[in-house]
Amino acid sequence: MMNPDAVEEKQEEGNVLIWLTGFALLVAMIGIFIYVPTERTEGVIQRIMYFHVPCAWLSFFAFFVVFICSILFLWKKDREWDIYAHASAGIGVVFCSLVLITGPIWARPIWGAWWVWDARLTSTLILWLIYVAYLMLRAQSDAGSMRARYAAVLGIVGFLNIPFIHFSVLWWRTFHPQPKVITNEGIGKGMDSSMLATLGLSLCAFTLLYFLLMGERVRQEKLKDEIDRLKREKLYSS
Amino acid sequence: MNLFLSQITAIVWKDFVTELKTRELFSAMFIFALLVILIFIFSVNLSIVKASEVGPGILWVAFLFSGTLGLNRSFVLEKENGCLMGLMLAPADRTAIYFGKLISNFVFLTVMELFILPLFMIFFNIDLLEHLLPLLLVIFLGTLGFCALGTLLSSLASNLKTREIMLPILLYPLLVPIVIGVVRMTGQILAGEPLSEMMNWIGLTASFDIIYIGVSIMTIDHILEE
Repeated sequence: MMNPDAVEEKQEEGNVLIWLTGFALLVAMIGIFIYVPTERTEGVIQRIMYFHVPCAWLSFFAFFVVFICSILFLWKKDREWDIYAHASAGIGVVFCSLVLITGPIWARPIWGAWWVWDARLTSTLILWLIYVAYLMLRAQSDAGSMRARYAAVLGIVGFLNIPFIHFSVLWWRTFHPQPKVITNEGIGKGMDSSMLATLGLSLCAFTLLYFLLMGERVRQEKLKDEIDRLKREKLYSS
Repeated sequence: MNLFLSQITAIVWKDFVTELKTRELFSAMFIFALLVILIFIFSVNLSIVKASEVGPGILWVAFLFSGTLGLNRSFVLEKENGCLMGLMLAPADRTAIYFGKLISNFVFLTVMELFILPLFMIFFNIDLLEHLLPLLLVIFLGTLGFCALGTLLSSLASNLKTREIMLPILLYPLLVPIVIGVVRMTGQILAGEPLSEMMNWIGLTASFDIIYIGVSIMTIDHILEE
């Protein structure tokens, strides 16, 4: 049982994070819609990049967290890591879906097609499918050690697949814009400094959002566990 | 080591004997692969598309689909009469169960593939004989990768309520790299390119096989645990 003081302290921490995230997102929005100049060739649609790239970053980060937590779970067999992996996979899938939605919106006016079978599009789609399967596996099995172990194995197997997907679709075909932020000439040379600043700000705001969502999801899962425990307790005591 | 090998052989032998007695898996896989090839022949117009361009893809789709039938069978069969429980109670390492299952899956699928190849040759009017050796290497690498990951996931899926549905959903996205690789290589081989032209793909599929066998060895203990 948590003591009431700890709960209150936790909630206060959560409140700080909410305000911080809200503020960062607000500043990022101002940056994206007001401060940053419009791109010369692509026009106003290019502003979607400030959502597209952070979403992609966030989903990859979330899947990486799933991988780490899965390993830690199989090692320590602690329910805590299972909760973290589950929460992170859910957030990752949501943001991966956003990448797959914002991408075509950006691609339509620039490439003239909603979807092309480019390397990074293809690998993002496959990644999305892997983690949707991960969530389905969790939904299919009953709560307990079996579900956690199976999900952890899939979390590891799925993440190790990423380098293979990367190279196979890269050799298959590619036309995505080459990375602009980190190029051969050094970090940040391929982009205007105001754009880079806005992108950085947006990345920070989204990363904060990840931690906020993560905290909420973990809290929900723990409450669910607590309810299950109480139910069982009452059921057998009466 | 000797004990480990004899444990593996015992499991493989058991699977072979069961299959020789019933003959239900092999015939089903073979006919299913044939049907997949036929359906694809109806869906692409071979008078417009070059057979050597679509052929490799169709061949591998047939292999993977019928391979999935085999994988679904492999652990469900063990579950039916509590055989898996017996295997786990036996004083054998869990890795031995994995390797035994991997080998029997691999052999069934490879034999089925060798039966399909001549039919593929006839249907698509492609001469495979002159490229047979590199083609067999590609089939070996692809089938091994498919079975390495497939055996792990089928042991996992066999404990779910919806196992037949979940196995392909879990397995296919993870197989994408190896499918692209083997289809590309088969296409290049049929176009007469030497193996040295596709070293990157061979490296990719071979490392896929090694890494997933390694991961399976490390994680199978956590799956086969009641």
